[in-house]
Amino acid sequence: MDMLNFKISRRAFLQASAATTAAAAASPRLLRAMEVELGGKDFSPVNYTERKAIPTTCHVCNIQDGAIAYVENGRIVKLEGNPEHVSTRGRLCAKGNSGMWYTYNPDRILYPLKRVGARGEGKWKRITWDEALAEIAQKLDAAIKEDPNTVMLKWGRDRTGGAIVRFIKTLGSATMMNHTSVCESSKKIGMQPTWGPDIETPDFANTKYILNFGSNVMEAAYFHNPYVQRVAEGMADNKAKLVTFDVRLSNTAGRSDEWIPVFPGTDGAVALALGHVILRDDLQDSDFINTWTNVTVEELKDHYRQFTPEWASKLSGVPVETIERIAHEFATTKPATTYTYRGPAKHLYGAYNEKACMMLPIMTGNIEVRGGYCLPRGMGYQQPQPEPPKPAKPSWMSDHPDYPLAEHKVAHLVPFWIAEGKQKINVYFTYMDNPVYTNPGAQAVWGKMFRDEKLIPFYVSMSTVMGEETALADIILPDCMYLERWEPESMPNSLWPWLGFRQPVIKPLGETRETRIILRDIIHKLDPDGSRGMKKYWNFKDGEDYMRQQFDNVPGLKEAGGVDFLKKHGVWPIYGKLDPASGKIVDKTGRPIEPEYGLHKKELSAADMTGAVVEKNGTIMKNGKAIGVQRKGRNYVGFPTHDRIINVRVDEWAEYGFNPMPTFKQIPWHKDMKDDEMILTTYKFNVHVQSRTASVKWLAEIAHSNPAWINSETGRKLGIKTGDLVRVESKVGYLVTKAYVFEGINPKVVAIPIGCGHWEYGRLASLKLKEKGGAWGAQDDPDLKNVWWEDNGVHPNLIIPVVADPIGGSQGWFDTVVKVTKAGPNDKYGDVQASWEKHVDAFKETMRYAYTGDLHRKMHPEMASWGGPDSARHKEGGGH
Amino acid sequence: MQNQDAVLIETVAGRPSPQELRARASYCQLLAGAFIEEPGGAYLAALRAPQALAELAELGLHFDADFTAAPLGELEDVLACEYATLFATSGGCPPVESSRLTGRFQQEPFHEVKMIYQRCGFALQPGKFAVFEDQLGVELSFVAALLERLAEALEDNDAAAAGRLEREIKRFWATHLGRWVRGYAMLLERVTEHSFYREIARLLRDFAESELDLLKVRVDDVDGGREVVPKSEISVLFNPDEPVCGGCKHGQEQDRILA
Repeated sequence: MDMLNFKISRRAFLQASAATTAAAAASPRLLRAMEVELGGKDFSPVNYTERKAIPTTCHVCNIQDGAIAYVENGRIVKLEGNPEHVSTRGRLCAKGNSGMWYTYNPDRILYPLKRVGARGEGKWKRITWDEALAEIAQKLDAAIKEDPNTVMLKWGRDRTGGAIVRFIKTLGSATMMNHTSVCESSKKIGMQPTWGPDIETPDFANTKYILNFGSNVMEAAYFHNPYVQRVAEGMADNKAKLVTFDVRLSNTAGRSDEWIPVFPGTDGAVALALGHVILRDDLQDSDFINTWTNVTVEELKDHYRQFTPEWASKLSGVPVETIERIAHEFATTKPATTYTYRGPAKHLYGAYNEKACMMLPIMTGNIEVRGGYCLPRGMGYQQPQPEPPKPAKPSWMSDHPDYPLAEHKVAHLVPFWIAEGKQKINVYFTYMDNPVYTNPGAQAVWGKMFRDEKLIPFYVSMSTVMGEETALADIILPDCMYLERWEPESMPNSLWPWLGFRQPVIKPLGETRETRIILRDIIHKLDPDGSRGMKKYWNFKDGEDYMRQQFDNVPGLKEAGGVDFLKKHGVWPIYGKLDPASGKIVDKTGRPIEPEYGLHKKELSAADMTGAVVEKNGTIMKNGKAIGVQRKGRNYVGFPTHDRIINVRVDEWAEYGFNPMPTFKQIPWHKDMKDDEMILTTYKFNVHVQSRTASVKWLAEIAHSNPAWINSETGRKLGIKTGDLVRVESKVGYLVTKAYVFEGINPKVVAIPIGCGHWEYGRLASLKLKEKGGAWGAQDDPDLKNVWWEDNGVHPNLIIPVVADPIGGSQGWFDTVVKVTKAGPNDKYGDVQASWEKHVDAFKETMRYAYTGDLHRKMHPEMASWGGPDSARHKEGGGH
Repeated sequence: MQNQDAVLIETVAGRPSPQELRARASYCQLLAGAFIEEPGGAYLAALRAPQALAELAELGLHFDADFTAAPLGELEDVLACEYATLFATSGGCPPVESSRLTGRFQQEPFHEVKMIYQRCGFALQPGKFAVFEDQLGVELSFVAALLERLAEALEDNDAAAAGRLEREIKRFWATHLGRWVRGYAMLLERVTEHSFYREIARLLRDFAESELDLLKVRVDDVDGGREVVPKSEISVLFNPDEPVCGGCKHGQEQDRILA
């Protein structure tokens, strides 16, 4: 028998190997590594018995991943992803895996507490629920009699499914504020008037090109867990290119094909220049523009002519050649999508930036196509009946006259408005909201307000832990942790809509109560016999009963079993089975399930059209509402805007003197920065949310300190090396921290992550022993004694002044000009100082950019024909 | 290094009298009253009675004027705040076995003691505030109840029941209270700012020591405190005078062959 000659050179061998790779890949493989089941079951390592698995929804951050809690002998021993969940497909992130340590945290608050010393002094008395509710009811009674709007409730993360809003409406108050202005409001407002929803759902898994503006989608941006799975699939299976514009080398930027360290706040200019090239070179999807938007291709070309790559390059530092190349790549690679998060939006005029970015998939026709930029898919649930009516009077702060377009409110300006006496507050509630830590100015602004009993006469915090805000409360009502409560859920975090819920996996610890029970009990105390007309809105036995009122009549879910189905599965519908080999959900035939595309192209039925009128522009009106749009003789549902098409030109913006077309405004104080000035930017760790996770031991061990990132070139100029103490000084204060010098950041940027530097939130987060006694900490606590780190970082928010986007209302987190110098002899690590007065000056300055302010016209010379603030109609507030 | 889980229970020679058992139960209950919730007026008034103070002084407990001289209502108020600071707010030291031994609430000790109470026919009743089954006040109340039952069994000449109860009490000290209260008492003595809790902490520590001694239960306290064992009582399985390797005559030989 002839023998093959394997005595060949290594080079030839490797060449042959490369050439035969494809054949090897195509060769059938019947042997596969053994897989344990992909979730859904878990066993005790001690006695091998199967642990009780209870499906629920994660709530460590706000992605709302499907989760399973494993309970052994009444103790939560493990959390993992729910394999039946279509969005998260059996995966939880590090935060989700650590969630049970919230529940068992020895520093959590288990009883109602009443302040007995000065605010913030830390002196408390435990009181009964009855005592707490009686005192609150008495204060509420007096406040409501004076004016219901003097009762204010501000929430940070409200996943109660409507209970919080029901409560404040029951009291007759319209003074409800959220946290959205420090989160993503300008992203929302950049999108909503253009195409309806306030968020996009890119089809990352099927795309060929992702243009990512300022989002750390792989670890921290909205929906990072389901999205990173799809981005990875797109890049690995579909060879998609990922291009990231970010001021720093985030882990997403590091895993991108290209990272472009853009100058802060100029993503919008780059996006406009990309649009310029696309339109200039006729690479747009003319049919889509002409059919589905309210502008013509020619109008768009005319408008974009001004945004040249040279112009954008000067602003952003992105080379002209790069802009030209990426524009061509994006427009000629199909399908393609953009994705944005806080990078473009958290600036003065962040809404313009967001709008400029979303124009790219619009002009290239990548909307609602496979692999493109899609509308979010969500599902609704019902509200228990009856519902309280809308409050009789609007609230000045919730319906702020200077920010008529900021539907998601401008809550970070609240302390200044209260201090100015714009609105009197008698009773202030916080719910899952820690503005003393998370808002600009932090304790210098919010701490100052809460400490002042003239400004806030009575303050109730509904909280699980002694956060920085709760430490300043008069009464603390102990809320449940997320693994102990009922809450409805639905999130557009993939292209398949779903309904889910959070159910208690153990009984609440101590005397903690779930939020809706707390709220019900307050109302029942205030209106025990129902004579005030409040009690009827709070007619439920317990959390489960409330869920039944929300879910049991949802079509489809009702037939599947309603709440009983959810108790068993955690989510509905079940679209298929998780394939252990691919990690994808597959149907009965073993094929990955496919989403539905082209939602705007769904045709209206004859019944829908009965009694409908088609307007001149094609909008189909029925009963005073736009129900669709007629295009090329067909009646489509279109987009959920006022005229059912994409509004490239947002006429409403023009009413207030804002440019209705895509545009860019350079941040004025970024124009004349001196050589030694930089922009301070913040970011999130992948294992932390803004503040809550600092008390979770597994997560705090992974990330607990936050040195300031400085570019190597800048470090050389300033004589700063990694580990050096640096002083970072803004116009409102300064901090002293350590430097981390490397190449991964724009030379004009200094980046400090948030989530560190707590001074409250329990022993782990603050890493301080109780001052008195000095023996409460590490050496005595069985777990804290394992804490090997001594540095809990420095919190940067104190030195960040308020900035409000006059359109979207967002805080300009990434607009702060700072000076970075080597720390002086009197500077100590962790020094942070800021003044209320300087923050007030910053507040006054930002109000000048509101449409009623003196700088508005100066910033909008192109709107010279605008009639001024008096010409605008007052717009009623809304949003969430 | 000592084995933290090592427990030694020796046989007790002779049985204590019912009177003595009731006295011990009474101390348990007195201590429980300081922890189970904020000390109430009646409890404080009884404790401040001259005779009670004198008896406690004989034991070596000396309260300051903040306890002995303050008006009762004021004292109640001050101690309620001290209670909240020590045991019910963030950063304190909740008197809860799970928290002390695992750093988390409601862990194994919680479930274990719950089972034990159930087995012995006890259930935790709701008080003014909900407490964990492994809260110090509850654990001490449990031992107090067992001691009372033991006294009754002895009075009834029910040797079998008495034996069972004795074993239960010992086991509970060995597997729960003995593992954490001495160290915890030392911590509490250091951190409290009020002489009431300082002296109660001392009483707790000394009472625990004496109970463990009386019951002949040797168990390491793993909550910071450690049992101090006289060197003379340490028995070893090797000769401490044996030279270390290389120290013997053979080992000192220069030309020895090393395998």
